[in-house]
Amino acid sequence: MSRRIVNVLIRALITLLMVMILNFVLFRIVPGDPGQLLLSGARGGATQEQITGLRQRWGLDRPLFPDQVTDYVSATFRGDLGYSFKFRGERVGDLLLKRLPATIGLVGLAQLVAIVCGVMLGLYVGWRRGSAIDKIATGLSLALYSTPAFWLGMVLVVVFSTSLGWLPGYGISSPGLANVGPLGWLIERIRHLLLPALTMAFALIGQYVVVARAAMSDVVTEDYMITARAKGLTSRQMLMRHAFRNAMLPVATLVTLNLGYVVAGAITVESVFAWPGIGSLTVEALNARDYPVLQGIFLLLGVSIIAANLIADLTYGLLDPRVRQ
Amino acid sequence: MTDSATEVHGRRRLHATRTFLLQFIEKRGAQLGLLALAFFIVMAAMPNRLVGPLQTAITATGIPLVPPSREQFLGTDEIGRDVLNLVVHGARISLTIALIATVISLIVGTTVGILAGYYRGRVDVWLMRLTDFFFIVPPFVLALVIAPVFVEVVGRGGEILGFRPSLFVIILVIGLTSWGFVARIVRSQTLSLRERTFVDRARVVGSNDLFIMVQHILPNLVPQIAANGALVVANAIYVETALSFLCLGDPLQPSWGTMLYLAQHAGAASAGAWWYLGAPGACVLIVSLSFVLIGNALDDTANPRRRVIP
Repeated sequence: MSRRIVNVLIRALITLLMVMILNFVLFRIVPGDPGQLLLSGARGGATQEQITGLRQRWGLDRPLFPDQVTDYVSATFRGDLGYSFKFRGERVGDLLLKRLPATIGLVGLAQLVAIVCGVMLGLYVGWRRGSAIDKIATGLSLALYSTPAFWLGMVLVVVFSTSLGWLPGYGISSPGLANVGPLGWLIERIRHLLLPALTMAFALIGQYVVVARAAMSDVVTEDYMITARAKGLTSRQMLMRHAFRNAMLPVATLVTLNLGYVVAGAITVESVFAWPGIGSLTVEALNARDYPVLQGIFLLLGVSIIAANLIADLTYGLLDPRVRQ
Repeated sequence: MTDSATEVHGRRRLHATRTFLLQFIEKRGAQLGLLALAFFIVMAAMPNRLVGPLQTAITATGIPLVPPSREQFLGTDEIGRDVLNLVVHGARISLTIALIATVISLIVGTTVGILAGYYRGRVDVWLMRLTDFFFIVPPFVLALVIAPVFVEVVGRGGEILGFRPSLFVIILVIGLTSWGFVARIVRSQTLSLRERTFVDRARVVGSNDLFIMVQHILPNLVPQIAANGALVVANAIYVETALSFLCLGDPLQPSWGTMLYLAQHAGAASAGAWWYLGAPGACVLIVSLSFVLIGNALDDTANPRRRVIP
């Protein structure tokens, strides 16, 4: 393994450790004794005996460092994220797994649309800088880039759901949908998926157009483009052989990084559409001050972000021979 | 340095600054951004004189959810408050949060970046590991877990410097989580600046490290810091709006994000109350777009060789 890869791995590990440390420290600052918090539902209040027993059972009577920290870290690596306060008795890990598919479906479709439309459009207007379509696309993308995604979602609901009535603006399926058959069920699902997925796609497209355009603009001013022209290549050949492949480098990195961030971006959008994924779970956990779930979500977001960064760092070396050393 | 040398130096710096500002103001993006921003700053400066005191559930006079009319220019919300009144007052809250948070993050980021770039070696390695964490994990994600805990710790009652404690928490959390980007850029600039002859010269005449960093390196970083500062404000506005939308704001001092939360909570979208959710959202969009435009114009002026427009 080269030095670069080792460094990248060390950095990722340190970041992961910091996420876990923050997770541990933060939720111990919360006022109120966890014992009392857990037993707050007990009839007539919890007795001192119950609280002591509970603290013993969960190891809360042992010193914070190193006992509780090592317990926390080893449990986390075993996949044990604790139990939810709100959904009594449910494991946080199970909760996350249950909600994850909805988010991945939403985010996946949005990414796909955004990559195809955004990157292509960005590369195209970067190639044709200064044209009318470039000015329109750049202006629109900057506006999209500055728009909070969830607000765009609310606007789309007003237009396409409330006013025009074309698409449902709420939830993942309609109630009372017993006998429509598998095809009807699928259509219903897609109809519900469209608005939230479009919202997220639009939010991403702005960013992709800006970056792809900038990458392409950088490439077309390089010396090797002049060389290519001098060799007698046609514009089309220059675009396909030199410009496109070099401009894809930063774009590929951005797309990979975004795969990590996009779950976090889905939080507010899901809450607009009551889409039953990780985002809605976050809102429920925030409102109920369900700290174990919040902890689990933070870990999940942290891990996905770190993993995406790691992949971007490693593949960048593969794509760009200059970085390989 | 003799007095006349300082004077010449000072005049040259003044001239450079004026040239920079003139080039900056010529850019169309800068003009648009500054114009829009001036509009909102006037709004934020005197909300009481423009629309009267902030309406509450008690002082609200209108009928709930009325579309825009001659009396209520932007309609009313679900308890009959004038949306225009809320938006203008929201400008003050949103802008103050974003600007103070940005100042905090610029101070932290610049300090970390200069120290790491100037001292290099072990200081650099450790500071950059810390920076990596804040660079990789976005402010919104960090704030999402830090804000509720600290809001709980300080409570919602009382006032700190004219702000409700929960808003104060939001400011601090955004400020202390969004400096990673700034620190990286400042560090890389410092690395190259410290090798320049004027730094050697300052060291030869006996200036200490702090003096060199503040008097010689920092002034050269200002255009970079300003350009990125504008982007940090845009991001701070986004984070504040998103956090408030998730009910981490303060309902008694509503920002634009809090209004969007209230609108969502009242089902404004499915009721077709476009004015209620449209007004605060458009404000967020315009303000953060202006900061992005200003940031890009500053960046263009500082690095003219980069021909990238957005």
